[in-house]
Amino acid sequence: MIELSEVHVTFNKDTPLETRALRGVDLNVPKGQFLTIIGSNGAGKSTSLNVIAGHTKLEVGHVKIDGQDVTNWPVYKRSKMLSRVFQDPKMGTCEDLSILENFALAHGRTRPRGFRYAVGASMRDEAAEQLKILGLGLEDRLNDKVGLLSGGQRQAVSLLMAATGDTKVLLLDEHTAALDPKTADFVLELTKKIVDDLKLTAVMVTHSMAQALHTGERTIMFHRGKIVFDAGGAERDNMEVADLLELFKREQGEELTDDALLLG
Amino acid sequence: MSLYEILGTLETGFIFGIVALGAYLTFQILDFPDLTVEGSFPLGAAVAATLIVAAGWNPWLATLTGGVAGFAAGFATAMLNVRFKILHILAGILLSISLYSINLRIMSGPNKPLLMVDTVFTSFEGLGLPGYIINPIFLGIMVLVIKLLLDAFLATGWGISMRAAGANPAMAEANGVNVGNMKLYGVGTANALTAIAGALFAQIFGAADAYMGIGVIIVGLASVIVGMSILPSRTIFLATLACLFGAVLYRLAVALALNADFLGFQASDVQLVTALLVAIALIAQQTGSFRTILRKGGRK
Repeated sequence: MIELSEVHVTFNKDTPLETRALRGVDLNVPKGQFLTIIGSNGAGKSTSLNVIAGHTKLEVGHVKIDGQDVTNWPVYKRSKMLSRVFQDPKMGTCEDLSILENFALAHGRTRPRGFRYAVGASMRDEAAEQLKILGLGLEDRLNDKVGLLSGGQRQAVSLLMAATGDTKVLLLDEHTAALDPKTADFVLELTKKIVDDLKLTAVMVTHSMAQALHTGERTIMFHRGKIVFDAGGAERDNMEVADLLELFKREQGEELTDDALLLG
Repeated sequence: MSLYEILGTLETGFIFGIVALGAYLTFQILDFPDLTVEGSFPLGAAVAATLIVAAGWNPWLATLTGGVAGFAAGFATAMLNVRFKILHILAGILLSISLYSINLRIMSGPNKPLLMVDTVFTSFEGLGLPGYIINPIFLGIMVLVIKLLLDAFLATGWGISMRAAGANPAMAEANGVNVGNMKLYGVGTANALTAIAGALFAQIFGAADAYMGIGVIIVGLASVIVGMSILPSRTIFLATLACLFGAVLYRLAVALALNADFLGFQASDVQLVTALLVAIALIAQQTGSFRTILRKGGRK
């Protein structure tokens, strides 16, 4: 479903701040797979997500989604096939619009928008039905502006919005990192349920090794712009955070020192 | 102030209400401070006046064509910003100074008198009411219709896309909204409204003038700021209503300031008075005291 081939990304090229964010990344995510990405700060995990979504231009390489070469497609065009939940809960929803209008906006991602009223009776029913799943009582607050909701509520709504329409790929960019532990668990469980129910291809970037290993079916690890570790199936099922650290030490010949990775 | 003066103030207030709706669309909805209006207001006037006088066009069609020209001007400003990454304020300034020359070309001179020709306002002469009564009524209805159309548009699929493009561009893009296109059409539409207002202004005062655009940006902005700091603007319907109210109130305030003999202002001080009013409204908005003062004043 997602194919990255020989992807190189360099920020601030030919300046003193030059950073080689991705150095030859090859990645193939088959249809229906739930992939988790782990890595320390600056390893390239978020950059690779941005490359898939179209936010970051490639220096070399190609991106294919669902068999189509989308390397030169702008973000809004790619969003017909993929949806995204951001780390910042404020980013995923538009606070000046009502909950219902946000749903209508997400609805238009895969369908024509046109000059008809965005919010009809069928949209209202559909949104209410989906919001009921959350059990947060938001189905009774459809006309409230999203700015009135809490961070956790907004993230849950973002997730539902990302799942509307005929989306094929779900990109999750540390989407539980800014939430308190209880809400983070709630949003993570919801994520698993949605990906499962809709049989989506999903890519989740996370800071927490435990979360990466216990979510989805396959885990890759980025280090200095390259994929250093790729595990799935039984090998991954039996793996704990300590094994991952040991593996990293053996392969890279250095200790992993990022506290956020270890403590998360 | 006499009734005649009040009706005259309403007349210009309603015309600038159309400008205020455009300013609301750019400044509030799209978060795009657009200075093109300084040029597109006289552009609408110049196009309409020239078509009426030199080409003998139907004044309604000429006014509408002025609006189309305004759309093109706004579209060009947004194009400089979206495609060529020129700062939005600078893009607007570039367009408005180039429009100054273009307007002189269109009118083949600094102004175009509209005397002894049919204008949209002569259509009402047969109704038996004097112009100073029927014109404000017509303009009031017209600006309300435009307001309701804008409200309706902002509730459509395109409308909410435009609102999201202004409020949260990254989120809008991630939801398939072409943010650049929204700016092109939004700024275009705002300038079309401004140009139509310019065309009506020229017809009611009997001439199009190359200098009539000076201060239009401030008038539009002042109407939005004054209106929204006095009236509630929770919904689009209320917000656009507040803009119209602000436009009328602003004209009234200017008229009162110029009329009050003890203040000693002359007609030529209008720009100074405008700047003072806007500064006061902005300061009051910052300190949040404007609405409280009014509320307390009402309670006493």
